[in-house]
Amino acid sequence: MTGERQPLYEARHIDKNYGGVVALSDVSVSLYPGEVLGLVGDNGAGKSTLVKVLSGVHNPDAGQLLLDGVERHWKSPHDTIEAGVETLYQDAGLAEDLTIGSNVFLGREKAKPGLLGKLGFLAQKDMEREALADLERVGITVPPSKRTVSQLSGGQRQAVAIGRAIAWARKVILLDEPTNHLGARQAVEVLSVIRAAKDQGLGVIFISHTLPHVLQVTDRVVVLRLGKVVRDAATSQFDAESLLGTITGLLETA
Amino acid sequence: MAMSSVTEHPAPADTAPAQRPPGLLRSVLSNQHVLLLVALAILVAYFTFRDSVFVSTPEIAVLLTNFASLILLAVGETFVIVSGGIDLSVGATCGFAGVVAAFAMRDLINAHQSETLVLIVGTIICAAIGIGIGLVNAALMNWARLVPFVATLATLGAASGLSLVLSGGVPIGSDSAALGIGADQIGPFPYMFLVVFAIVVISWLYLHLSRYGRYTYAVGSNAFAARAAGINVRRHLTSVYVLSGLLAGLTGMVFYIRLGAGAPTSGDGFELIAIAAVVIGGVSLFGGVGRLTGTILGALILTVVTSGLIISNVSPNWNQVAVAICIAAAASLQALRVLGRRQS
Repeated sequence: MTGERQPLYEARHIDKNYGGVVALSDVSVSLYPGEVLGLVGDNGAGKSTLVKVLSGVHNPDAGQLLLDGVERHWKSPHDTIEAGVETLYQDAGLAEDLTIGSNVFLGREKAKPGLLGKLGFLAQKDMEREALADLERVGITVPPSKRTVSQLSGGQRQAVAIGRAIAWARKVILLDEPTNHLGARQAVEVLSVIRAAKDQGLGVIFISHTLPHVLQVTDRVVVLRLGKVVRDAATSQFDAESLLGTITGLLETA
Repeated sequence: MAMSSVTEHPAPADTAPAQRPPGLLRSVLSNQHVLLLVALAILVAYFTFRDSVFVSTPEIAVLLTNFASLILLAVGETFVIVSGGIDLSVGATCGFAGVVAAFAMRDLINAHQSETLVLIVGTIICAAIGIGIGLVNAALMNWARLVPFVATLATLGAASGLSLVLSGGVPIGSDSAALGIGADQIGPFPYMFLVVFAIVVISWLYLHLSRYGRYTYAVGSNAFAARAAGINVRRHLTSVYVLSGLLAGLTGMVFYIRLGAGAPTSGDGFELIAIAAVVIGGVSLFGGVGRLTGTILGALILTVVTSGLIISNVSPNWNQVAVAICIAAAASLQALRVLGRRQS
């Protein structure tokens, strides 16, 4: 089906150890444009490690990463961001003492025009305004305010973090547990935000423990167990029961 | 408590938070800056009442000189603490820089060089030593993986010991020729204070309005989020400790001008007073929160209290006790406010 198409982002034979602990072992995953790829597995299966390898936080011990068919060696998350890969980390969150606008523009602040900008001064009002517009464009509405993120609810914070990743992404979005901490209605909103990103031709990797969400939004599912890929198949081949069985290993599938 | 209704409730997950407009009085009382200003006004009024000399031109000049000796350390410490760290080495850096610069300045004075040249050379040496110690701090953190408290405690010891070794424990350059250097003033404003004031203003602009300041808050608020957003956290923290060292080195020059000598122990313990000014100003020791204006008010309050006690003929031995009371009062005020916010 997708065999003749070039993957947008591809990991080949990735190994990653922490000290003596094997986190990833010979993991290969490909993501195609306009695809939502589910990445599932039990705690400790290596999902978050794989995300951190894909986003440039960790270097793999072995294996290759190819973006648009070109091998890349990320030195830091800065490199992946430059290349059009945005990431929502499960444990990173936002800089809570900064405003929504400052968070959305974190790391790519807009400078004031002219000399002041050259001296490093920021166009804060523009950023606050554009941040809200950017979030709205991807389907996330937050109250306009100068308040810091620490004063938002957990759901609103998560929405801002997801919106930031999607608003900036040019190629790939890595979402580690985006529907955590969300109420039912907000989770549905996030899923529709992900579908909209897919419709724009972006590739999305979606990690979640909430299997109904995975079955609803993904096109394909990769199951990790103890650092290895144990299954890579179209979502249509799973139902909730067989997916859970594959994750836990109680249901061995060829 | 009375303040609790001012602060926002965390909103239910999917509605915009309903915000009650805070009463003017309550919002004023819950603002740390306003409280600090009131405290400052009361202190000034009290000491003036005790002795009207407190607001005379010479006494104001003394006050501003004392303030200048503290504020640069406190400004550097503000950047460091906002970034989520602590710098214990600033007091020792200031003494060490003063001693080394004093040797060079003594030679220049003995060679009858102009006052301007003496001041410029001294300032450059002080700045260079401060930057050097900041780099050592950063290296200890980045490469030896020490936490800021331990890294800067190590440089505190080293700098403080080296100043004693170099100076033999006595002030360097203390003679009549050195005493007047850089001590000119316009009205009640010593030149030195005007330079220091300009540095403080520039620091405020950069902490609150520039990319550099934004990164400082981001790193102190959530270092991983900052790194994930593409910020080079190590490089930024290095620059923050270099800035703190630089300002501490320059304070060495302020002390030299004040004392007419580079005294090895002149900065001892000043790191704690600088940290006190920052804490009184409402900057969170957890990083990411606080304003430089708070630090400035904190430093002013400490300066007024210590100078006021001297004018009121209270033994200087009480200074530390007074500083301690200021810290405890300010910190407890802040804790009560945070608690009030949580309970609302």
